[in-house]
Amino acid sequence: MESIKIKKITSVWIITVLVLFVASIVLGILMRLNQGGALNQAPINFYSNMTIHGLTMIGIWFVAGMAGINFLMERYVKTSYKANLTAFILTVIGVVMLWVITLVGKFHVAWTFLYPMPFKIMWAKWATPAFLVAMSILSIGWLIWSISMMTQILKKYSIAQAFAWQHFTKDPSVKTPPFILISMITLVGVITCLFVAVVLMALYFAEFLSKGSFVNDALLMKNLTYFFGHTIANEMLYLGLAVLYELFAEVGGKAKWQTSWYVALAWNFTLIFILTAFFHHLYMDFVQPEGFQIIGQLASYMASLPAAAVTVFSVWVAVYRTKIKWSLTNLLFFIGVAGWVIGGFGAVIDATISNNVVLHNTLWVPAHFHSYNVMGNVLFSLAFFYWFSIQFTEKVVNERLSKLVLSLLIIGGAGFLLAFYLGGADSIPRRYSNYPAEFTSAKPLALVGAAFATVYLIPILILFVTITKRCIKVLFSSR
Amino acid sequence: MHQNSILLLFFFLMGIALIVFTYIFFSSKKADQGMSNPLKKRFWFFLILVFILGIFASVTIPNSPYFAHAGETPAKVVHVAAAQFIFYMSEQAIDPAKPSGHPIELPANEVVEFRVTSLDVNHGFAIYDETGRLITQTQAMPGYVNRLRYKFDQPGKYHVLCLEYCGIAHQIMRTSFTVN
Repeated sequence: MESIKIKKITSVWIITVLVLFVASIVLGILMRLNQGGALNQAPINFYSNMTIHGLTMIGIWFVAGMAGINFLMERYVKTSYKANLTAFILTVIGVVMLWVITLVGKFHVAWTFLYPMPFKIMWAKWATPAFLVAMSILSIGWLIWSISMMTQILKKYSIAQAFAWQHFTKDPSVKTPPFILISMITLVGVITCLFVAVVLMALYFAEFLSKGSFVNDALLMKNLTYFFGHTIANEMLYLGLAVLYELFAEVGGKAKWQTSWYVALAWNFTLIFILTAFFHHLYMDFVQPEGFQIIGQLASYMASLPAAAVTVFSVWVAVYRTKIKWSLTNLLFFIGVAGWVIGGFGAVIDATISNNVVLHNTLWVPAHFHSYNVMGNVLFSLAFFYWFSIQFTEKVVNERLSKLVLSLLIIGGAGFLLAFYLGGADSIPRRYSNYPAEFTSAKPLALVGAAFATVYLIPILILFVTITKRCIKVLFSSR
Repeated sequence: MHQNSILLLFFFLMGIALIVFTYIFFSSKKADQGMSNPLKKRFWFFLILVFILGIFASVTIPNSPYFAHAGETPAKVVHVAAAQFIFYMSEQAIDPAKPSGHPIELPANEVVEFRVTSLDVNHGFAIYDETGRLITQTQAMPGYVNRLRYKFDQPGKYHVLCLEYCGIAHQIMRTSFTVN
């Protein structure tokens, strides 16, 4: 079914993501060790590490989702290998540039690069224009890929069918597979936010090249930055969910999930909520119109409804008192859904304006987004990686190793996240290289976080070795 | 304390989620018919969620900081200009060309207004009480003035920390004021 080329490029994507994931976890552990006082990094090094840690993690889990979607999309429509390859080449160029810019050029603006910080040079002068070029390369590469994939979907399905609108009628003649519906919804969000990223970069370039005659508006730039940043960070989770919808039932030995009217409705509404929830990043900017702030809270609340009532509930229905062929793949999916739900609680609490006033930019923020990444989206993508790696090579699954991997993932992930949540409730600021003395719990919590993150790294390394070994076999196989 | 209630709520919700997921996982070991009438159960689950979130939204939105003391006249106005990596606080307007500040004393149990802006990048203006608890905050954004109103009910020394990453010395950017 799948061509050799798509198997090989998917393998290359997987190996690239895993290498960068391990490197970025190590950077994250170094950050927590520094905050805990066990290391003594210069602040400039800490903040450069923090910048590349955030940029890399967002980038790799986005491309991991895209690579998964691209591979499975071949079951329904022919995808463009050229677009896939172009995206890969541009991603590698962009990521290498970003690592050089941050680690050599000491560019340290955090992954949010809030305007006008990139212009307040506190690093090598070349780093700012190079950063804008790298971000543009990544945005354009991913835009080409997303548009190409959407075009291929629309060659087979009409717009109404791609959005599954025919499922609102009594007897739909064409059935839209959930995978196509979720991919379509997600791709619209991805294309929209990448387009905004290109506009954002154009505005930066305009100011950079104008030599002072053109100055951007800080509030507009912040809105654009979070529209892009929040949306892409959330869409990557939905890419992971599309993979879950496609594979969860299949690997459990069950019939594939079908689109029904409420699945179609839920995902169509998700698109609206996901594009308006970003306002919650600007709650503490009191000059932002109050209407936008309230839309931010309502959209953040409402985004949880289709997610809980359709996706989470569907996973429960699929498992409850049902004979399932459990394997590492669907266990990773199942635990990932639980992690996503728990992170979602943390997110909804923080998206409440009256709570945000005491949580904004404390450790509660990394607590909740690490929850649905470390214990959610990452597990969805790892499930895909593992499933992919055993498709074309030996299908031997070591059950004891699987249990060890899952146990260490849960123990390491839970301890690492708990240290963040407790720190957030203790008012400890995020993004501090070193903590002021009055935060007495900050250093011990950072060390606890570092220790548990190291526990989490062990199963990641095990998966890295087993999956990479199999992907390398795929790369050198002629079948 | 606000943060303690938040943490308790989170642990409560997390506990429920863990019980439900664990129960559902183990139910697959004694498989029989699956879930009976899942559509009806899904509908009720959805309605309960809508009800809970609706109550949460209607209770919390009116308590948003934008509406705090909105109709009152502040007893004191404090101008704040944040810059890498210093806060200027003054009872007079601050000249961006020659920013300066002075020690601030504020009255307890009266509404005060902080007019917060930035002279360079985005900063945070987060007020911590003597126990190190974050009590309120706003952002400092270049070109804009955020008005934060607050009534301090405890006299004492309050610390201000920057809560928006602003560069290499972000972690030491701070000031303080006294409430009498």
